[in-house]
Amino acid sequence: MILAQTVAAAGPALDAAPALAAAGDVSVGEQVVFWILAPVALGGAIGMVAARNAVHSALFLVTTMFALAVFYVLQAGPFIGMVQIIVYTGAIMMLFLFVLMLVGREASDSLIETLRGQRMAAIGLGIGFALLVASALTRGLGAVSAQGLEEANRGGNVEGIAAVLFTRYIFAFEVTSALLITAAVGAMVLAHVERPKGMKVSQKERSRARFAEGSYPGMKAGPGVFATSDSVATPALLPDGGESDRSISRVVPARGLTSAEAAPKHTER
Amino acid sequence: MSLSPYLPIVGLFALAFAFALFSVAIAPLIGPRRYNKAKLEAYECGIEPTPQPVGGGRFPIKFYLTAMLFIVFDIEIIFLYPWAVAYDALGLFGFVEMVLFIGAVFIAYAYVWKRGGLDWD
Amino acid sequence: MIDVWWLLILKVVGIFAFLVLVTLFTIWFERRVVGRMQHRPGPNRVGPFGLLQSLADGLKLAFKEDILPRGVDRWVFVLAPVISTTAAFTGFAVIPFGPEVSIFGEQTSLQLAEVPVGVLVVLAASAMGVYGVVLAGWSSGSTYPLLGGMRSAAQMISYEIGMGLSIVAVFMAASTLSTREIVAAQADGTPYQLLGMDVQLPSWYVLLLFPSFLIFMISIVGETNRAPFDLAEAESELVGGFHTEYSSLKFALFFLAEYVAMVVMSGLAVTMFLGGWHAPWPLSLWGEANTGWWPFLWFTLKVMGFLFMFVWLRGTLPRLRYDQFMHLGWKVLVPASLVWIIAISGIRSAARDEGDRALWLTVLGLVFIAALLGYLWPRRRPVPPATADSGAGGFPVPPLDLVVPPNPRAKRLAATRAGTGPASGSGEGADDEKEV
Repeated sequence: MILAQTVAAAGPALDAAPALAAAGDVSVGEQVVFWILAPVALGGAIGMVAARNAVHSALFLVTTMFALAVFYVLQAGPFIGMVQIIVYTGAIMMLFLFVLMLVGREASDSLIETLRGQRMAAIGLGIGFALLVASALTRGLGAVSAQGLEEANRGGNVEGIAAVLFTRYIFAFEVTSALLITAAVGAMVLAHVERPKGMKVSQKERSRARFAEGSYPGMKAGPGVFATSDSVATPALLPDGGESDRSISRVVPARGLTSAEAAPKHTER
Repeated sequence: MSLSPYLPIVGLFALAFAFALFSVAIAPLIGPRRYNKAKLEAYECGIEPTPQPVGGGRFPIKFYLTAMLFIVFDIEIIFLYPWAVAYDALGLFGFVEMVLFIGAVFIAYAYVWKRGGLDWD
Repeated sequence: MIDVWWLLILKVVGIFAFLVLVTLFTIWFERRVVGRMQHRPGPNRVGPFGLLQSLADGLKLAFKEDILPRGVDRWVFVLAPVISTTAAFTGFAVIPFGPEVSIFGEQTSLQLAEVPVGVLVVLAASAMGVYGVVLAGWSSGSTYPLLGGMRSAAQMISYEIGMGLSIVAVFMAASTLSTREIVAAQADGTPYQLLGMDVQLPSWYVLLLFPSFLIFMISIVGETNRAPFDLAEAESELVGGFHTEYSSLKFALFFLAEYVAMVVMSGLAVTMFLGGWHAPWPLSLWGEANTGWWPFLWFTLKVMGFLFMFVWLRGTLPRLRYDQFMHLGWKVLVPASLVWIIAISGIRSAARDEGDRALWLTVLGLVFIAALLGYLWPRRRPVPPATADSGAGGFPVPPLDLVVPPNPRAKRLAATRAGTGPASGSGEGADDEKEV
C-alpha cells in the first residue's frame, strides 16, 4: 500500500517532464525549477517509504506535496497550487500527523520482514510500475503539445476555474457537499465518545465550583508551612517580635473599611 | 506562462530559510558548552521526569475530530474563494447553488454540534 | 511586470530587513506599552528610550548555550524553528507597500510579488506555520511542549477556518484574489444609487464589511497565538508551551516567527480592510499623499496601529479557558461567518437589479447590522457594593477579615492571662491596638 502511495506521489513528477518537454516553449527558468524540485519530490517520496519513524515519513510526504504545489504553479495553475498547499499540506497532512501522534511517538516500523522477500519484491514492482507509467505517458504525450492553455487562463486562472466549476461541473460540485457530510459524520462515529451529561466534569463546571461561594479560590498554604492567617490584614513580624506597620497595604483602609476592620490583625499565639 | 511573478516569493522563502538554517547551525558553535546532567533532562517541576510524556506521547482522539472538521471546512472555503471572485459573473444561479452547498455542509456541522462533537471538557 | 535582477534582490533583502527591524521595534514597543498599562516604565536602559533592548536581548540569546535535551527527536527538533520562521517570512512577499516608485532610475512597484492568487499565498504560509509549532511540541519529548503543541495545532486550525471564511466577502466585493487589486478596489468610493441619489459609499472594506473585519480580527489573534488566545504557551499552566525545551537562537527564531507572523497578519488586515497603502481620509485630500514614497509611511503607520491593538489586547484581557476558546472559534465565528456570507451575497445579488429591491435590502442590511451591534454591545451590569466578604464586584479577593481558627496554645495563654482576650485575632482590632 505504501508503495502505491509513493508511486501516486511521484506520478505527477514523472509525467510533468514529458509535458514540459513537449510544450516546446519551456523557458530556462521553468526547466531550472523543474530539475531542482523533481529530485526533491522524488526524494521526499522515497524518504517517506524509507523512514522508520512515522512522523518522519509524514514530513517527507509534506515535502513531496510542497514540491508538487510548486509544479502546479509552474504549469500555469496557481490556484490549484495554493490549494495543494492549503488543503493537502495544511489540512490533510495535519490530520495524518494527528493520527500518527495518536499512536504515540515511540511507534516506529520494525525491520523484521513478516513475509520473506517481500521488501525486494515491493521495490522491484515499484520500479517496474514507475517505468510502466513513465513510458506510457511518454509515448502517449510525448508528441502532444499543450493546447488551449492561453485560452483557459485568459480571464484569469481563478475566474476560469469558477466559470467552469460552477456551471458545467455544478453536479460534481454539489455532490462534494455530500462527501463532506460523510466525512464529518464518519469522524463523529469513529472518534466521538458520547457521555451522558454530568458523567465527566467539564472545565466550566470545575471553574464554577472553584469560584463558588464558600470556597477560597487562591492557593492553599503548602505542606509544612505554619500559617495561622493568610489575611492581607495580618502584619509581618519584625526580628524583635513586634509588628511591621509597613507590611499592611495602605489600600486596605482605603477600601471603605472601618478603622477597626482595617487595623492590623494579629496572629494569635 | 512564465514563473517570474512567483520568483520573488521563492527568493524571500530562500532567504528566510537560509537565515533560519544559519541561525540553528551557528547556535551550538558560538554558545558556551557546560555539561550538566540535569540540563539535558526534559522539563519537569522539580520532580524526576517520567520516562514518557503523558500517555506515551499520545494525543487524545478529540483532536482527530477537530482536524477532520477542519478539512471539511477548509474544502468549503476553497470552493468559496473562486465563487466569491466570480460572483458577479455567475449571477443569481451562483447564489442559489452556493446556498445549497453551504446548507449541505451546515447539516454536517449542525449534526456534529448536536452530538456534542464541538464541546471540550 | 518583471523587475531587473538587482532590483529583485534589493527588494527581497529590503523586505527581510524591514520585517526584522519591525520585529525588534515591536518587541520594545510591546514591552513599553504593556509597561505603561501596568504603571511601570518598561525597558529604558539600553539606548535612547531603551530602543536597543530587543537587539541586546537577541544578541544575548545568541551567546547562550544551545541545549539539545535527551529524548528529543534531533532532526525534527532543529527543523521546527526553521519551518516556523520561513513560513512567517514568506507570507509578506505578496503584501503591497505602495504604488510605483523609482529606485535608482528604475520604475517599480513597492511590492515583492504581484500574483493572481496573492491572498492565498499568505494563507498557505500560515498553514505551513502550524507545522513549526506542532513539530516543536512533538519532537521535544516532554510533557509540557507536547500539550502546548497539541493545543496550538487545534487552535490554529480552528481559527484558520474563521479567518478563511471572513475574507470571502472581501473577495466578493473586490472580485479578485490579488492583493494589489484589492487595494486598488478600495481606492475610490463606490457609486451607489439610493433613493434616486448618487451616494458615494466608503471605499475601505472595514466600513463596508464590518462583520467580516470583526471576525477577521478575532481570528488573526487566535492564528498568531497571541493573548488572550495564547493557550499554546500559557505560562501559568504549561511553563512555556511548545518552546519549553528550546534555548539560544532556536528559541529566538520562535520569538522572531511570532512577531513576524503578527506583522504579516497586520499587513494582510491593512491590505484587505484598511485600504492598503492609501492615505487615510484627511490626508488623502492632499494630492501628493498617494504618490511616491509616502504610501509606505501610511502603510507602516496602519500596521503599527494593528500591532498596538495586539499589545492592547494583551494588556487588557485575561487568557481564555480552553473550552471557552474552542467554543468561540467553532460555535460563534464559524456560523456567524457563514450567515454573513449568505447575507452579503444575497444583498449583492439583489442590489444588481435596479429599483426598490435594492433600497429594501439596504434597509434590511442596516437593520441587521444594527441588531447585531445591539446584540454585541457591551452591557453594563450594576456592580454590587463591595463588602469585606464578597470582594470587589463579585470577583474573589483574599478575605480581608479572615477568622483565624484559635491556636491550641492560645487557650493555655488565655487561661494564664486570666481573661485578657478571646482566642481570636479577627474583628478585634480595637483591642489589639491597645495591646500594641
